[in-house]
Amino acid sequence: MSGGEPSGSEDPPGRQFVANGISMKTNEVEAKLDEGNIQEAESALRDGLSLNFEEARALLGKLEYQRGNVEGALRVFDGIDLQAAIQRMQQSLGDKQSTKKGRTRSDLSSVVSQNATNLVLEAIYLKAKSLQKLGKLKDAAEECKSVLDAIEKIFPDGIPDTFVENKLQETVSHAVELLPELWKQAGCYTEAVSAYRRALLSQWSLDNDRCARIQKAFAVFLLYSGYEVSSPSLAVQVEGSYVPKNNLEEAILLLMIIMRKFCLGKAKWDPSVLEHLTFALSICSQTSVLAKQLEEILPGAMHRIDRWKAMALALTGAGQNNFALELLRKSLHRHEEPNDIMSLLLAAKICSENVLLAAEGVKYAQKAIVNALESNPHLKGVGLRMLGLCLGRQAKISSSDSERSRLQSDALKSLDSALALEPETSDLSFELAIQYAEHRNLDAALRYAKQYLDATGGSMIRGWRLLALVLSAQQRFSEAEVVTDAALDETSKWDQGPLLRMKAKLKVSQSLHKDAIETYRYLLALVQAQRKSCGSLASAQQVEDGNANEYEVWHGLAKLYSILSHWKDAEVCLGKARTLKEFSAETLHTEGIMHEKQGRINEALAAYINALLLEPKYVPCKILIGSVLCKMGPKMLPVARTLLSDALRIEPTNYTAWYQLGIVHKVDGRMSDAVDCFQAASILEESEPIESFSTIY
Amino acid sequence: MADRTPSPEKAAGGKPHIKWGDAYSKGRTAVESLSTILRYFPPRLSSSETPAMDLLQDPDIATQISALLRRPDSGAVNDNLCAWLYDTFHSSEPQLQLVVLRFLPIIAGVYLTRAALNKPLPGFESVLLAIYAHETAARNGQAVTVSIPDLSHASIYHESKMPTKNASTELHLAVITASLEPHGTVRSTRRAKIVGVALELYYSKISQFPVGSKLDFCDFCKIWSGQNSHDNHEKSTEARRGRINLAWELLQPIMRILGHCLFRPEKSDELFQAAFVACRCLNSRAQHDTNAKAMLATGSLVKLAEMAKNPASNVDYTEIAMSNEISV
Repeated sequence: MSGGEPSGSEDPPGRQFVANGISMKTNEVEAKLDEGNIQEAESALRDGLSLNFEEARALLGKLEYQRGNVEGALRVFDGIDLQAAIQRMQQSLGDKQSTKKGRTRSDLSSVVSQNATNLVLEAIYLKAKSLQKLGKLKDAAEECKSVLDAIEKIFPDGIPDTFVENKLQETVSHAVELLPELWKQAGCYTEAVSAYRRALLSQWSLDNDRCARIQKAFAVFLLYSGYEVSSPSLAVQVEGSYVPKNNLEEAILLLMIIMRKFCLGKAKWDPSVLEHLTFALSICSQTSVLAKQLEEILPGAMHRIDRWKAMALALTGAGQNNFALELLRKSLHRHEEPNDIMSLLLAAKICSENVLLAAEGVKYAQKAIVNALESNPHLKGVGLRMLGLCLGRQAKISSSDSERSRLQSDALKSLDSALALEPETSDLSFELAIQYAEHRNLDAALRYAKQYLDATGGSMIRGWRLLALVLSAQQRFSEAEVVTDAALDETSKWDQGPLLRMKAKLKVSQSLHKDAIETYRYLLALVQAQRKSCGSLASAQQVEDGNANEYEVWHGLAKLYSILSHWKDAEVCLGKARTLKEFSAETLHTEGIMHEKQGRINEALAAYINALLLEPKYVPCKILIGSVLCKMGPKMLPVARTLLSDALRIEPTNYTAWYQLGIVHKVDGRMSDAVDCFQAASILEESEPIESFSTIY
Repeated sequence: MADRTPSPEKAAGGKPHIKWGDAYSKGRTAVESLSTILRYFPPRLSSSETPAMDLLQDPDIATQISALLRRPDSGAVNDNLCAWLYDTFHSSEPQLQLVVLRFLPIIAGVYLTRAALNKPLPGFESVLLAIYAHETAARNGQAVTVSIPDLSHASIYHESKMPTKNASTELHLAVITASLEPHGTVRSTRRAKIVGVALELYYSKISQFPVGSKLDFCDFCKIWSGQNSHDNHEKSTEARRGRINLAWELLQPIMRILGHCLFRPEKSDELFQAAFVACRCLNSRAQHDTNAKAMLATGSLVKLAEMAKNPASNVDYTEIAMSNEISV
């Protein structure tokens, strides 16, 4: 390859043979080959370049191969004896080892013999390539395999470093890479897998790029072939090391190793590796691992905005919304890509889930809508939907009534226009139903809740729950129960918890306390069984969820017994609840009520205040403190009034707060204010669901 | 393997075929009962020595079964074909079960689009439940998990073979499918899960199905997405029809199947194109749903397919360097 001719000139007339310091034009030999006289061509070559039979054949074959005449190449290669070459090579190596170190005559002869062996191995390799081009894939694979077998015979301890620079190494590397591809193309997948593993687990002194390519090819095979491979054999496993146990694990391992090579600058960046890894990790919902991989990529390999966007998606997929939002803010910076619609939508979505970010989300959504008009009209509906969600969320912390109702009606307008654009998006009916329900427009809420249940074919539990809650808010308890029962029929046992809890509350609302206790008992058994069945596989999250579920049951029972004035039972249940959740405003709330009902006002007050210390915005205790203080004489009335107003600022639809505020006004002699409050309380009470609508989403 | 069944004639000639006879006779029974359901039955099948294999591969059979499954009244309680599929799956003959699974794309496709309209479809449901129950038993109800490698643990592919000392970090355990509970009926909230598990079984056998089955699947993915494949995104009512709720339980096996259709070792341009269109539709849908995980998975498939279409990416690194100097 170090020929004197300038590289790139591939004019066929310029071809020449070079060997033993002599060069020779190929024209004559080519003419003989074209006439079909292989032997004449061979002897011309042997005479002209003083070569032996095998060397001459190998050169001729290479010529034919380069000329694109693969059939001719095969005819020439057929006469070569690989075994003889292997023996020669083994012998010469044996000589070399016996003559100690240093450059001696036998060292020189070994170099010559090396070249000869390489020529033969290369010839066999080209034979394999020729067969591949003729579609004889299995034969090609067998030939290619014989090259590798020969190398292993000649160098049982791996190829020595002195050979790495030489042409032999090139042939070996080619063969190592080709073999698994040939088996794969031939449809012999078992052989392909062992060839891949042989390539990657034996010492072939491959360069990093080639090794990375083979690793990628194997990973692709593992990921997409649909052919489940067996685990690597025990022989290659090192004790304590990680052994992948299925295709997906092995593919991810290989892709991660290639990524590591990229990061260390050892191999050339190949964007497809990252895409394969993205696919594999998203399929297993392990996008947090993906985020870490993206973070480690060297700068320059990937555009920073692409990296931020991909990381934001990965982090969102892993539920780490805050980090994701930070990255989106970066990529939406005015110097970066401030108008990228997917970043805007994703940012708006993240913001729509947090009251404190909702206002920021409104801006993103508005910008997304403007940009959608220009570039992606099909995403306008999504933008409107996000806008509606953010506005609705923003309304929740609004400090003034007028602003709140403006935000709420804007939210509804946005969601309505989104629905008009995308009637097939069932989630929109759900979100509209929630907005209307929280607005206490129960007729509209009911309509959309039904629409959602229909559109999803009853496949979403939250659809059933929403419908039952809206019915309960309309004080149609028995209908709500029918819906709950239907939902229970459509749900498998492990998902029934929230439905059973609703059912128990519906029974309480209808003063069917015995039935409610029965339902709670059943729910308790279910929750406990579920925790057991999770067993050792349970994640910390699952354990926590299990505790939370069981806590809710005990707490619900405690409240129920407290209504019935069964103080001992209530105490026991509350004690159980406390063991599952040590500090809870809700527990203290129930505890306070029990004290108050039994006339222990100071203890009750202490419990309520403790609850507020735990959760300063816990509305029910603010109301209860207000009501207790109200009974303590005129001096306390302003304090009570402040607490109740505060409660109403947080929860404007809380009817007890309105009622208690009415009492404060009444005691203080402001009759008309009191009447207004009582009226509000009575209207709201008539539209009070058995649990807050916010428990559904 | 059931297809190496010797014919009865040969058996009569002296060679006993007790070992394979069961598979063969079950195959024959399936063929005979199917011949009473289909209007046209290819005669070559009635005399086939490898009935199960032929049922799986025969294009005429596939066309007719597909047409029946797609009829507006299919999947009802008295659907003969569903009964046949159910019985055939229950033969417990792996090769015959493959025949049933071969039609899963159409069964699931038609079923999910119609179930969203609250149509009762007990015929389809019986087949899906049979497949689900089979898989539940095979997995013993256990969850399928993958432990995500962490490079701080030494592995077989690490360059240094020394086990590292700081292997203290825990491996991430990823749950691919949660544990399975038995279902006697299709409860609406479990529908996605049941079909999803059936699709997982389909995926695990996917290399054995003819391309036609996978083409059907790609078509339904497009329909389920409710999106148009064209970039103009003018959503016709046609595209909206058939749109379904794509829960992760469904999306996950769907994407694995599409990955196979795109990058399987056996090349088929038709299948590649169909899967490419399906991936683009699902990617567009994922954007609509702002579903991050689905956007990542479908997005990477779309990008990989585009790379594969680019001829510059298909360099053959196993080709030798061509030079004018041919030397030793």
